[in-house]
Amino acid sequence: MLTYQRARGELVVTLKSRDGTTVLDDLRQDGCMKARFPRPVDWMEVTTLNASGGVAGGDRLSTSLRVRSGARTTFTAQAAERFYRALPGDPPATVRTRILVEGAAEWLPQESILFDRCAFDRRLEVDVAPGAWFLGLETLVFGRTAMGEVVHHARLRDTIRIRQGGRLTLHDAIRMEGPVAETMARPATGNGAAAIATIILVAPDAAAHLDQLRDALAGHQAGVSAWDGMLVARIVAQDGACIRAAIVAGLPALRDGRALPRVWNC
Amino acid sequence: MDDLAANLRLLAWLSPAFPTGGFAYSHGLEWAVEQREIHDANTLFAWLADVLRHGTGRSDAILLRHAHHAHACLDTLAEITELALATSASRERRAEAVGQGNAFAAATRPWNDTMLRNLAARVGDIPYAVAVGALAGHAGIAQDFAAAGLLQAFAANLISAAVRLVPLGQTAGLSVLARLEPVLAAVATETRTATLDDLGGCCFRSDLAAMRHETQYTRLFRS
Repeated sequence: MLTYQRARGELVVTLKSRDGTTVLDDLRQDGCMKARFPRPVDWMEVTTLNASGGVAGGDRLSTSLRVRSGARTTFTAQAAERFYRALPGDPPATVRTRILVEGAAEWLPQESILFDRCAFDRRLEVDVAPGAWFLGLETLVFGRTAMGEVVHHARLRDTIRIRQGGRLTLHDAIRMEGPVAETMARPATGNGAAAIATIILVAPDAAAHLDQLRDALAGHQAGVSAWDGMLVARIVAQDGACIRAAIVAGLPALRDGRALPRVWNC
Repeated sequence: MDDLAANLRLLAWLSPAFPTGGFAYSHGLEWAVEQREIHDANTLFAWLADVLRHGTGRSDAILLRHAHHAHACLDTLAEITELALATSASRERRAEAVGQGNAFAAATRPWNDTMLRNLAARVGDIPYAVAVGALAGHAGIAQDFAAAGLLQAFAANLISAAVRLVPLGQTAGLSVLARLEPVLAAVATETRTATLDDLGGCCFRSDLAAMRHETQYTRLFRS
């Protein structure tokens, strides 16, 4: 029987603060997962990349990040992640990202682009220490609609779990199985949308940004709410371009005017 | 315990007259009605079928089943409670689950004065699906019956909200409930073997409605 080689990748990055500058404390790169660092600066931008060029059925990717007290880091990805078609017998690809936040951390990857018949189980687990600051984003784009792609079928689980001081405060699980396009056409699901984004801010003053983010997202199909130390926004859009426009409109309301990661403009 | 007596309890606990305050929550329907997304029996049926299959209905059925199974183990119930609270999609959704759960725990004291009180002492707030599941398990009510019952009560409560909001005639509302029967039964059946990892869904626009309800100008409902 023919078997395909599965991609494996493991990335461990720890950052700490030294004299007010964020510097690397620990780095391990294994398999297809890599990270790139600029010179130490006040707010460090770390770019991750998946050298395998995309995720296929059965792949296993794991990323473990830690931002120690006083360090401030933006994690982003060099390119949009692609989830390719899985073979019928393939187990779902598993993508695990764990972030320990004791300082300030942003998880701002680019979009995840889904291909027809993809199968994956992705989990973002974030532990936020008391008083720490975290901003996260996940975006799913169901096919590059401009190129006529439609995701008819898929098996996907995309889960974001937030713990604050050890207590689970958010378990946001997107789960779709089977005829995705048909399901997303329904009124209470997507009404034909092909892109979904979730923005989460965990901060002592998270709720104070509620009105700002609502205003910033006013022209988009979005909802924003704040509870239990978190601010959560969900955006629904027609396609990848529209969802990016909404994200670019919304994020500045939570980032003190800092520019979006440079790789976002490439 | 005698099955008939146990089932009678569930009928009482899930009756619209039971004081859980369910009538005050619309699960975001009030926003969907204002936006004319829901404007007649057909659009109400489609929306509720989605919420049952891909949203809160299915997730609550899974939570109820696990709480039912764990009714004798306070540690597991506490974990399920934490997870259930964390699945809330918005501030008002959290309040909807907790408001009804805590009221349910208080109102069921004549049947059991310790079980849910012990859980509340341990965890504080108890979401509705967990409260119903745990007590149903404790009272010897069949898990399938409790899961299907919760789904039916949830649907009936939202239909009653829509009847007032749209407005719809009583008969139109009841016809939606009748049409939802196969959906309710299917969700109850599908969740039988679900693990807690199977929680989740894709009712994105229902979640947006719940979030946007927070700023709705005229509001009859708390969610």
